[in-house]
This record gives sequence, C-alpha cells and structure tokens, in this order.
Amino acid sequence: MEDSDIFSLAEFCFKIIESQISDVKTADIYFEKNKYINIEIEENSIKNSEVGEDSGVSIRVINRSGALGFAYSNKLVKHSIEKVCKVALKMMKVASPDPDFKDLPTPYKDYPNVKDLYDKNLKYLQIEDSLNYINDLIEVCKEDDMAISQSGNFVSDYSKTYIFNSNGLKASKKETSCLVSSNIIVKDKISKETSSGSERQIERSLNKLNAINVAKIALEDAKQNLNRKKVRNMKVPVILTPKGSISLILRPIAAAINAEIFQYKRSFLVDKRGEKIGSDILNIEDNGLIDNAAGSQIFDDEGVPCQNKKILQNGKFLESGLLHNSYTAGKEGIESTGNASRGSYLTIPSIGITNFIMKPGDTSLEEIIKSIKRGILLNYTGDSPNISTGDFSGLILRGNLIEDGEIKDPLNETMIGINLIDLFKNVEAISKDYKIYGAFQAPWVKIRSVNVIGGEN
Amino acid sequence: MEISDEIKQIDENLVKQLNQIANNKAEYWDIRAEINNGTSLDFTNQKSKEISSFEIANCGIRAFKNGGWGFSVLKDLKKDSIKTGLEKAIKLAVLTESLTKIKFKIAQNDPIIQNFKSKCKKEIEEIAIDDKINTVKNHEKIASNYSPYIQNTHTLYMDGHSQTLFLNSFGSKIIQDLSFVRLFCMVFANKNGIIQKSANSVAGVGGYEIVETEKAFNLSKKTAKEAIKLLNAKSPIGGKLTVIADPKLTGTIIHEAFGHACEADLVLSNESVLKGMIDQNVASEYVSIIDDPSMGQGKQFKLPYELFGSYFIDDEGIPSQKTVIIENGILKNYLNNLETSSRMNVPPNGHGRAPTSSERPQVRMGYTYLEPRDWSIEDIIEDTKDGILCEDFQYGYTDPTTGNFQFKCRSSYKIKNGEKRENMRDVSLSGMILEALNKISAIGNGKTFDYSVGMCGKGGQLVRVCDGAPYIRIENVTVGGLN
Repeated sequence: MEDSDIFSLAEFCFKIIESQISDVKTADIYFEKNKYINIEIEENSIKNSEVGEDSGVSIRVINRSGALGFAYSNKLVKHSIEKVCKVALKMMKVASPDPDFKDLPTPYKDYPNVKDLYDKNLKYLQIEDSLNYINDLIEVCKEDDMAISQSGNFVSDYSKTYIFNSNGLKASKKETSCLVSSNIIVKDKISKETSSGSERQIERSLNKLNAINVAKIALEDAKQNLNRKKVRNMKVPVILTPKGSISLILRPIAAAINAEIFQYKRSFLVDKRGEKIGSDILNIEDNGLIDNAAGSQIFDDEGVPCQNKKILQNGKFLESGLLHNSYTAGKEGIESTGNASRGSYLTIPSIGITNFIMKPGDTSLEEIIKSIKRGILLNYTGDSPNISTGDFSGLILRGNLIEDGEIKDPLNETMIGINLIDLFKNVEAISKDYKIYGAFQAPWVKIRSVNVIGGEN
Repeated sequence: MEISDEIKQIDENLVKQLNQIANNKAEYWDIRAEINNGTSLDFTNQKSKEISSFEIANCGIRAFKNGGWGFSVLKDLKKDSIKTGLEKAIKLAVLTESLTKIKFKIAQNDPIIQNFKSKCKKEIEEIAIDDKINTVKNHEKIASNYSPYIQNTHTLYMDGHSQTLFLNSFGSKIIQDLSFVRLFCMVFANKNGIIQKSANSVAGVGGYEIVETEKAFNLSKKTAKEAIKLLNAKSPIGGKLTVIADPKLTGTIIHEAFGHACEADLVLSNESVLKGMIDQNVASEYVSIIDDPSMGQGKQFKLPYELFGSYFIDDEGIPSQKTVIIENGILKNYLNNLETSSRMNVPPNGHGRAPTSSERPQVRMGYTYLEPRDWSIEDIIEDTKDGILCEDFQYGYTDPTTGNFQFKCRSSYKIKNGEKRENMRDVSLSGMILEALNKISAIGNGKTFDYSVGMCGKGGQLVRVCDGAPYIRIENVTVGGLN
C-alpha cells in the first residue's frame, strides 16, 4: 500500500466520522505496516526461519463529554475501514464521559532531527543475508567444551507508522530495528551441574550488531553461575550489574513515574515530587533524541515530538519528572512529554519510556569490586518490586559472592529484601562503564548495605 | 456451525494446488487461517478507559524438511496470498534444512476431517454492548463501595470469538470455532499510605454465561475484601519453614515449577532438569500430576462452560487429551508437540499451541493439576506445629535449567501449634523443584480441590491455561520477606 492510499483512507475515515454524529470532538487514526524476519536456533542449530508482514489501522473517537471509543482491524480495504469507524463511534456512545479529557495534540511546526532510526539495509534485508549472525552465535557455543546447548534468535523489523488526527495533525515515520539474543547452557564436567546465561543486543542499524560478542557474554554469564553455593543470612554491600540496575532501579522508576500510575496514586513516588529520593550521585533521564538509539523516536504514538527529560537530578526527583501522554498531560494542565506508547495498532495509547538512562559515575568497575571485603554481585533476578509500595524481595537467579575484592562462588537459593527508597539512598558508587540493553542504559551500582537471606541454615 | 466466507473460500481446489506446490519439496506443511473478533471493556475508578472492538485475520503457513522449519505469516486469507505464502515457507524450510545439524522426520499422523464448536448458552455476539458494560459497571461499583479505604478499582472484560481452519499435508481439514470470556478485577486499598492490592479473574471457554455464575457475581466483592484485609497484615517472617499452600498457589507451583520442565522442547534442548528422568522417581509417592486440556471438564466444578485452558484440537491438528506426567511419584511422560514426539519416538499428546495463527506453535500446558489425596484442610493445619499457610499468588517463576523457583503469595497466616494465627503479606517462597516435590508431606482431599485460570507466557507468546490442586503441605521451604 502506497502513502497516497493511506492518506486517502485517512481522509475517508474522517469523512465517515464527521458525517455520523455531530457530537464527536476529536478523533485520531493510526496506521502501521511492518515486515520482519526471525531466525531461531535451538540446541545450537538453526531450527526455524520465519518471514511475516502485518498492517493495520486503529481509530479512536472522543466526544464532547470526553467519552472514548476505539476499534481496530487489519483489513485495510474501504468497506472494512468504514466498519471500523462505525464500530468506534458505537463504542464511544456507550463509553463513560470523562471531563479530564482535554484534547488530542494540535499540529507541530517542527519535529526534532534524530538521525539513523532507519537503516535501509534492514528494510531490504534478505533472509540469506541474516544467516551469518546466526552462524556467529552457533560457532561461539560449538567451540566451547563446557557449552552444551544454545537457544537464540536474530530478528529484523521494518515499520512505517502514520498518525492523523482531526486537529490537522499528520505525521509519518519509518523505523528499523534488529536484535540478536543468546541463551547458553553450560555443564561442569566434574560436578555435572548445569547453568545458563543470557545476553541480547538491540540496534537500529544492522552493522552495529555483534553476535559473537552477544554469545560470548551469554557464555561467560553461564560459566560464572556454575557450581552454586548457599550462603548464610548477612547484611552486606551489593553491586548491581547493568542488568541488575535495570531491574532494581531503572524499570521500577520508569513504572513509578508513568503519569497514569501516578495519577491513580499507585506509585511509591506519589508524595515524593521535588524531594530527594536518592544519593547525590544518582542521575536519571528519559532521552528520546539520541541518534541511532533503540528507544529514540522523532514523535510518540500520538504524533507529539519526543524530548530529553531529566527525571532524577543529584538524587532529587524533579517536579517535572513524569512521563505523559496527551490525556494525562491534559489532566495536569501541561503539554504532553511525548511518551504516548501503543505497542501496535491493537492498543490505545498508554505511556512508555524512550531511552531511559542512568548517568555513569566516575569510579572504575575494578575499584568498586576491590572496595568490597564481603558482599554480593547481583546480575539477574526474576522478581520485580511492588510499584505501589516500593518494597522488593526477590531471588537472585544469577549472582556471586564477593570476597576480598574478588568475584567468587555463584549463589544458590539466595534472596534479598529492601525498600527501593532505601536502595536509592544507599547508592554509594556508580561505575564509569555502562551497558545498553534496548531502551535502557545502565552502569554498575554499589549499594552500601542490603539484607541478604541465605539458603544455608 | 456457521462458517465465515473467508474461511469457506479455502476449498478443496486450493488444497489440491497447495499439495502440488509442496510436492517433493516439503515433507510436511500446515496452514492455520483464522478470523478473530471481540470486545474489550476496560474500566478504572468506575469510568471507562477503553471500550473497543476488533476484527483481525491471521494466517500462518509452516513447511518442514528434514529438521528445518520455514514459517510465513500473512494477514489476509486470499487464495493467491496463501499459495505464495506456502512457496515462501517451503523456500525457508529448504534453506533452514541446508544449515541445520539436527536432522529428523515428522512422524505421519492420521488425518482428521472434522469441525468443532465450543458450546455457548449465550453467544457473545448476541449480547448488547450496554449489557456487557452494565456488568462491568456493577463490579466497579461493588468494589468501590466496599470500604472507604478502596483507592482504585479496575475491571476488565474481554470476549473473543475465533474461527480457525487447519489444513495439513496429512490430509487434515479441521475448523475449530471457540469463544471465550474473561472478567478480571483488581482493587487497590490505601490506609495511611499503606497500599495493598488484590486481583482475581473468572474466565472460560463458552459464552456470556461465564460472567453470570455466582463466582463471577462475587468477583469484585471478593477482590475488594482481600485488598482491605491485607491493609492490616504484617510484614512476613523469614527462614526455613513448613508451608501449607492453598489450591491457587499449589496450582501455580505445579504449573511454573514443574510443568514447564516437562515441556519436551526444553528437555531436548538440555534446558530442563527433568531430562533423562522418565520412569524415575521425581516426587513423593503420593504425587500424581496430569495435564488434560480436553473438553468436558467444567462439569466437575459445576460450571456451565468449559475450563479456560481447554481446546478440541491443538494448533498442529492433534486432539487434546489426558497426559499423565507423574504417577505416584514416577515421571511418566513429557508434554509433546508434533516435532518433539517425532524426535522422541512417542505419540504426540496434543500440546502444540500458539495464541494466534501468526505465531509458531510451541509445547504448552493446558489444564495442569495435582490429584487430590486424603487430608482435610483442618487436619493439615492441626497437624502443623510451626509453619505458614500461604494463599494465592502474585507471580512466580522457575529457572528450568537449575530448577530454582520463586513464588510470591498474596496473603499468609502464621501457623502455631495447629492453629491459624496472624495474617502476613508479600511472603515469598523459594527452593529447588525436585527437592520440593519430595518434601510434600500432606496432600488435601477432593473437597479442598479447586482450579484457577490464567495466561501463561513462553517465548513471548501468551496462551490460556488452567491449573488445579488441593491444599498441600511442603516441609522446609525457604521463606523470605522484607525483614
């Protein structure tokens, strides 16, 4: 389907909406088309090759009392789209009035110039040309005598999005992304114990992907988790790896500053606006404007330009540090921060991050590890904190004991418990080094003192 | 059964052409063509956030050759697109085959030519949107008015109707017509800054009758009551404790901690601790675990509809059936799909599932349950000197490679000298699955047996599931909390 077809379909939709009910205040139409390649490996061998495409439309209509109707379909022919418009209107008629709804965005003169979010190599990628990434993964695992299996995949995705609203906003963008993931199983020849490690890399351009590196990190991760030991209860310093920092600092803050959660008072940060909630060295921002970054966007899923927003500055949670879409912003009487997020045409806009970044510190990783006589390295937990209370208690799925400044035995059946505010305030050091996982950028972080519950009686 | 026009046009003539396309090039192929429609009503604090309706077409075409799979996904069901899709899938399968090290054949199965339709007392399409909205509004009202400490209410009603045509190179031609309804309530309570929540759902395969049972009517009240009760609960104690788990928590433990490790794809890829353990003792002799997603099981719970995890045939054309996983402590079977059963040289047992036709079937559970034994709940509590009674769960997960699991339950009670004492919240349990199954010291009777519904995730795909269990008691479990 060509751009001109989409533009005329959008006009067609607005005509139907206008002709049906005079009560409609505003409406938006979201078109999306994408195509992807996905190659999967299992048992360290290529297993499945997949190509697919999708295109769909969703229509949101809102009346003068704020009642909202929504409908979607992936049939992009005129009579189906006509039906989608009519269904959305029907849904609007039965929806609740909402005086908090102000308006959809009005057109913008300019959009920011964010470079390299689209790589035409990915748009035109053939499956044959993707295979070397898979072969790289397989080779790393094959050449290691402790590695017994690997699962993983390569994905490339091209998408084009169009947003139209009845205030005259018209915007379209094309984006690409690609991903390599690896999960490697290792077995100790003597103890017979098995363990797994995983790693992934998400990029906007193909030439940035390094599958060998991804598999090597997964392999190291797996080996570092082999021959696990139980420990006794203790109260010690904890180092969060970048993955650990994402689970315990970035993800929870991203969830807690979502203006919708905030307005429903379900966030542990509700009474903390403008207050110091963390150590002086803690700085966090949501920056959608970084060239070539996985989380960057020119505009969000309502057509609002993305921004760079400071969230935490020297430990202080800024008044302005919330992520908004047009609805939550309207409710507060401010402008949207460009964080409307749909996932796909199947959902109404909620709120999401762009690139969520913890600023690196000035200590080297070696210095941080050396500073600990006895402590814990937390690499991965499957648990997530309670966002309404900030309480966290979770199992360390991948972590190690630190003794005399060195990383030692991996941990078995070890849990930690802490309230997040205490954790933020106890941040003692942040590394210069950092890693990027998709939309998150995080360093290694030292927490002064945490309760560790060991599996040893 | 009324067959939609888009499905109807995929006729014998097309099948003939598809067979010609695949001839000598693919050893196996299958096609799933699906039309989906439904409604979603999402209310928060008694106001609608989303009232929506959808219609989606999906088509997934797989081809197989000697260990290599190709998969092509399209979003229309036109004959020409399907033919091109099969050509693409075959090309991909041939390419994959040329590179794969693991070669195998797909074992031949008897073709099935049959249409299936889930029974509906009240078809969801026949119910006016206003009636559905009134149901949700009522629940919101009941929850909001339950107590002044209720801060937030959230009710989600979802219904869906899918008609899927399955064709494969064995000659199967199956139409499965399923409708489902799910009602979900979540309530947040707040007292002096302490925020607690509870959530419950009612869901099944069937029609609107699903939200008209007594259990469904009581959903919001029950959820509000639970959230309020947690406001006064204490922070948990930690350590090694005897744990009594209610059916909801036990069901989740059986599913997460054990069921996933029985999925044959994880076994083949060395990712399961249960690899090589068929016919071996993996649990105490009182433990029998079954997975049975076949239809007809709503009756035992006096439901006028089918369990949420049930289906007639799986997404590879294999009928759903009862699979004994553990019998009296001995591991009997893994859960299989077409590929794993072919490779393990066992008959397929109908566990190849995908949420939509545009996703590739994986090995999945359906309705997994632990068989009841003879303890009454009163006797289990009375027989426990020092322990903790845990109810419901917030979430849980297992590392299938190591068997290390972690569950967070919603509410717990301290047990002292056979008596239920103070209420606690946010208790987490962890351990190793094989150790835990051997430390089960009591299994409740049929009276204590109950089921729960949920959506289970694997490899980015969410499918409908159920678990069932009685109360059980496990010795010496690591219990963690904030303190």
